[in-house]
This record gives sequence, structure tokens and C-alpha cells, in this order.
Amino acid sequence: MFSPAMRRKLSEWLTAYIFLAPWFFILFVFIIFSIGWAFYLSFTDYNLFSPPKWVGLTQYIRVLRDRDFLQYALPNTLKYVAVVVPTQTVISLIIAFALDQNIRFRRFFRTAFYVPSVTSSVVISLIFIWLFSKVGIINQIFGLKIDWLNSPTYALPTIMMVNIWSTIGTMMLIFLAALQDIPVALYEAAQIDGANRLQILRYVTIPALRPAIFFVVTMGVIGCFQVFDQIYVMTAGGPLGATTTIAYLIYKWAFGSTNIQMGRASAVAFILSLMILVVVLIQRRIIEREE
Amino acid sequence: MYRKAFALMALVVVAGLVLTACAPQTVTVTVPVEKKVEVTVERTVEVPRERVTVRLSGWAANPQETALLESLLYRFSVENPDIIVKYEPITGDYWQAIKTLVGAGEEPDIYYMDIFQFPFFAKEGVLLPLDDLMAATGTSRDVFIPDLINAFTYEGKTYGIPKDFNTLALFYNKDLFDQAGLAYPTDNWTWDDLKAAAQKLSQPDKNIYGLGVPADPGRFPIFVFQNGGRIMTEDFSDTLLDSPEVVEAARFYTGFYFDKSGALPSDVGEGWQGTAFGKGNFAMVYEGGWLIPYLNQQFPDLKYSAVLPPKGPKGYGNLIFTVAYVISKNSKNPEAAWKVIEFITNEASQTTVLESGFALPSRAALINHPYFQSHPESATIFRGATGATPFMWGLYGSDVNEKMGQALERIYLKGQDPEASFRQAAQELREILGK
Repeated sequence: MFSPAMRRKLSEWLTAYIFLAPWFFILFVFIIFSIGWAFYLSFTDYNLFSPPKWVGLTQYIRVLRDRDFLQYALPNTLKYVAVVVPTQTVISLIIAFALDQNIRFRRFFRTAFYVPSVTSSVVISLIFIWLFSKVGIINQIFGLKIDWLNSPTYALPTIMMVNIWSTIGTMMLIFLAALQDIPVALYEAAQIDGANRLQILRYVTIPALRPAIFFVVTMGVIGCFQVFDQIYVMTAGGPLGATTTIAYLIYKWAFGSTNIQMGRASAVAFILSLMILVVVLIQRRIIEREE
Repeated sequence: MYRKAFALMALVVVAGLVLTACAPQTVTVTVPVEKKVEVTVERTVEVPRERVTVRLSGWAANPQETALLESLLYRFSVENPDIIVKYEPITGDYWQAIKTLVGAGEEPDIYYMDIFQFPFFAKEGVLLPLDDLMAATGTSRDVFIPDLINAFTYEGKTYGIPKDFNTLALFYNKDLFDQAGLAYPTDNWTWDDLKAAAQKLSQPDKNIYGLGVPADPGRFPIFVFQNGGRIMTEDFSDTLLDSPEVVEAARFYTGFYFDKSGALPSDVGEGWQGTAFGKGNFAMVYEGGWLIPYLNQQFPDLKYSAVLPPKGPKGYGNLIFTVAYVISKNSKNPEAAWKVIEFITNEASQTTVLESGFALPSRAALINHPYFQSHPESATIFRGATGATPFMWGLYGSDVNEKMGQALERIYLKGQDPEASFRQAAQELREILGK
């Protein structure tokens, strides 16, 4: 019936799909189905206990008129992304450059900078609660009397600092790997052409790092838009909504409330993913244009 | 075979005789017949009864409390071998877990229900009314402290049997009172006594403050009650956060912070005022019975005691925090589940709970138990229930709490006037309540 070549091809396919089956199962049940279900829920009024009631776009309209969303969650999230993404990218790039040089104790520093990335974010948050308490070490070193996490002005910047500190390790590692991938021949050629160090950096290193930068910024943007755990542990969205982000709002409406609002929480979740998608697309357009 | 043939022959002979004689003749033939006989014999036989399984879930506050419940369940299993209780404590976010379980119809037969969360579960009809089960075993509502059992009553039906409760008491540090040369607080104190003592006890330069006044919706309302006010209307459809009684109470409460006779826990670098009290930063705090084991464990040298919250212009006011056992409407063995609840809330079990020192029992009769004589702080908290209000603000309880906390924060952190701040809170809350 089948030619031997075709039969071989079929058996190859079959083998492949048998091997892939467990992952397909996970993909369809826990990712595609879940996303589809949440999308459906975002058009309903659903409190977990009673069956979902179809309400059309009501939840989206409610979210876009909600005080917590407009006054706190949206501006806080945008501020957070705008500060944290560039800062963590630049700092981790600088550290990667430094550790790419032949300095003493290079291995020690690499490990030291990476440790926060493998530490639980909850543990880090607890440590920073102590560091930034009113009688904590930070205030004592700098002779300040700021109640960092209980001040509407300083709470968000404090959480930004925590997140920058804990993510630069991973990004540094990605940059280091990319730096070491740049062929030595490129540098030599540039030197022969008489380029100075700054020119080498500008015209050789940075362009060669472009894919790594794109990757780091993309991951940073996604991570920052979804910032949740540090806020959940350190401030619970307070004081006065100063650290309420979109992801925290999703949690609050879905689980943190006596009156569950699954539909509205799902609607915000889709608004958030739409925002991430738009930002990442814009960013890709920019990177492509530069090339 | 041989015999059968013989019998057949005999039959033929007899038949021949009958036929040839042509007259009726009586012949006696003995035929063996097997007969069934039923005899009733009295004998005790072990008939294996069908064992039912009942699942029970709660949060695991601490290992000692878990051990206490397990010991009660063990005693139950000895008396009721036909009911297997599967205890499945939930660690982490209990409400997230239990709400998802209920949503999926996979919830345990019995679970813990906090009064604060109760309105939602009651309104959604996911709990089993217990009145018929109570009547069947002759359990009366009257044996429980009325405020507790009433709190778990919805539209005239009982949905939960209170397992334990807490109220707030004014805890005070004896050493700090001695140093300031002040007499210890009494149950008859008033707001004026509280204010005067707090001012004398405060030494801001030494990081010592008279009273802890956190922006906590679980503490502030008692001042509202003591001022004759309410947080919500009786049917919870509207808020009274902008009423003069609330604003006045807020002015008094936050006043401690502004004249430095009180402070927020974060002012002394703590997340919770209980720790600040243990460390001697706060001379007085309003806390519940949970503070007692914490202090005994973390600060065994601290000399402290507790009295009823001082009375305000309109008398006594307090909050009741209570948790009940409820049965799921989906339970396949409600009778067995009720037996479990009945057992672990009966007088003997509740006495064990009391003697363990972790929680206060929900049975009114236990007020005369000798334990209270040797533990005056627990006695204070037990007595505090009389005339207190359950910590529950209806379906939108978490929103009420949030807005109330923010109203206090605006006063503390932004120096806003209490009236404006609470007016804003009430306004924002009415938007949520759909007013």
C-alpha cells in the first residue's frame, strides 16, 4: 500500500508524536485550554461557586473604569517597567563587561552576582523588609529616617530596587555568554583598522550583542509587567495603593477578596497580556530597524 | 442400578395387582423425603458494618494546634470505629485553596469557616444547614456563646458550629508601668485613662511608645463601637464610615500617633505590634489571645497582663474573631460529618481545647472552668465576648477592610483630616457596593 520510503516517514512521525505526547498533553490541558477558558471567563460574571454568566464586554468596561486600575495599577506598572527594564539591562551589561575582563577573583564575583537569581524571591523580599525597615541597616548607614515600605513615595522605588538587584544576575550571565561568543578575529580586525576601545565597544561589541540585548529586554519587559511576588510579600499593594500593580490586582480580584471576581480578574489578565504583546512588538520593530 | 431395577419391577408387580384386582386397595409405602427445617438460634456474630470516610480540612496555624485537633480526632476514632476521618490540613493560602475546591466540587466534608468569609459561602448556598442534624442528636444552639452561633446563622438557619474564638484585650507591659510609676489598667478604664497613661508611658527618644495604633481594620473598629458607631448598616448594604461616630473615633485613635503617645509598628521597625510589645517598644497593645502563646514562646521574661478594652463615651465595644466547622452541601455522609463536628465541639473536647491554651472554647458553660483562674489573660479575652461584635462586614468585607485601612493610612501618612479621609473611604466603598 505504502512505498517503503513513505512507510519509513510515517513511522518516524509516529515515533516523534509518541515522544511528544506527554508534552502535548501538558500544552493542551494546562496552557492552551487554560488560556481559552480564562478568555471565555473574561466575558462572564463568575465567582467560582455559581456557573459563569455571560455578560459580554461588561468586565472589560468595568476594568477600564475601575479606580484601582486607573489610579494605581496601570500607572504603577508602567512606571515599574519604565524604570526597572532599562536599569537592570544597563547594570547587568556593565557587570558583564567587567567580569569579562581578566580581573582577579573573577569566578567569585560571577557567583556572587548570580546568587540572588537562584534565591527564592520570597526570601529576598523578607531580607529587604528588614534592610529597609525604619530602624533597618539602610537607614542607619545613610543616617536616614525613612519608613521605606510604608511610605507612598518610597515603597514602589524600594520594590524596584529589590527586583533590579535580584534579576541582574541572570541577565549578566546571558550577556557574559554572548560576550564570549564574539569572535576574537572581529576585535583584531578592528584594532588593525585603528579603532580605539570606545569605537570597538560601539561598533563591534554592542552590535554583536544585539540578539542578547533583545532577549534580555524582552524577558525583562514580560517579567516587570507581571511583577507580583515581591509586592505580595513586602507591601500587599499598599500603602495607599502605591505598589498595586496589574498582576497584584488580578490576584486581589481573583482570590484576595471575600467576594470573588473571576471574570473581572480574567479581563485584566487579558488586558495585561495585550499590553505586553504590544510593547514587545514595538521593541522588535525598533531592533529590526536598527539592523 | 441393580436396586433401581428391582424397585421398578416391584412397581410393575404392584401395578399389575392393582389392575388385576380392579378394586381400590390401600398400600402403605414408605418413601424417604428430605425436609427443610428452619431453626432460630441465638448467636452473636461480628457483622462488618460499612465504614464511611469523612474528610476534614483547616489551615495549619501551628504544629501544636494541629496536634491538638489530631488528638481529638483520635479519641473520636476510638469511639466511632465505623467513621474514618481523613484530616487534610491546607498549608499556604487557605481561602484560595478552599474556594477553588468548592468551585470544583471537590471540597472536604468538613472545613474551617472564618466569620469574615462566611457571608459569601452562605449566600452561594454551598454549606449544609445543620439544624436537622442538630435536632437529631439533641444538640442545642443554646450551649454555645450566643454571639458566636448567631454569627454563623444565615436566614434563620445554622450553618456552622463555632470551634473557638478570640476578642481583643488591652495587653500591658508591667515593667513599663512600674517604671512610669503608674497603676496597672483595670477592666473599668475609659478612653481618658488610656490617653493619660499612654502619654506618661511614651519616651519617643528611647523608642518606647504608650499604645500601638496600627492602620489595621482589625483593631480600629472597637473604638467606633465604643463611640456608639457602626462600620456598616445592619443589613450590610451601606457603609457608615463617614458617620460622625466613626470620624470622632478615628480622630481619637490616630491622635495617639500625632502626639507621640502612640506609634505604628513600622515606626519601631516591626511588621506586627505584637513583636513591638514583646520587645518593650509598645507599653500597651490591643491584641487577641494569639498573642499569649507567642509572648510565652518568644519573650518568656516579659511581665504582662491584659484587661478588657477601655470603655469609650458610649461604653464597651469589642470585636469577635471566630471560626466554625461547616459541612459541605456536597457531602455524601452528612450524618457522619455531623458526628465528627458534634464530638470535637462537645464539652469534653472543648475543655481539652481550653486546657491546651491555644484557643478559647465556644461553649458558654466553660466560663467557670478552673483554667481561667490561673490564666487571667485568657479569662479576659473569654469575658470580652459579651457585648462584642463579630468581625464581619458582609459580602464585601475585604473591600470594607481595605478602604478602612486606607482611610487610616491617609491620616497617618498624608496628614489628611479624619473627616475628609473617611468621607473618601465611604464614597469609594459605595461605588463598590453599587450605591
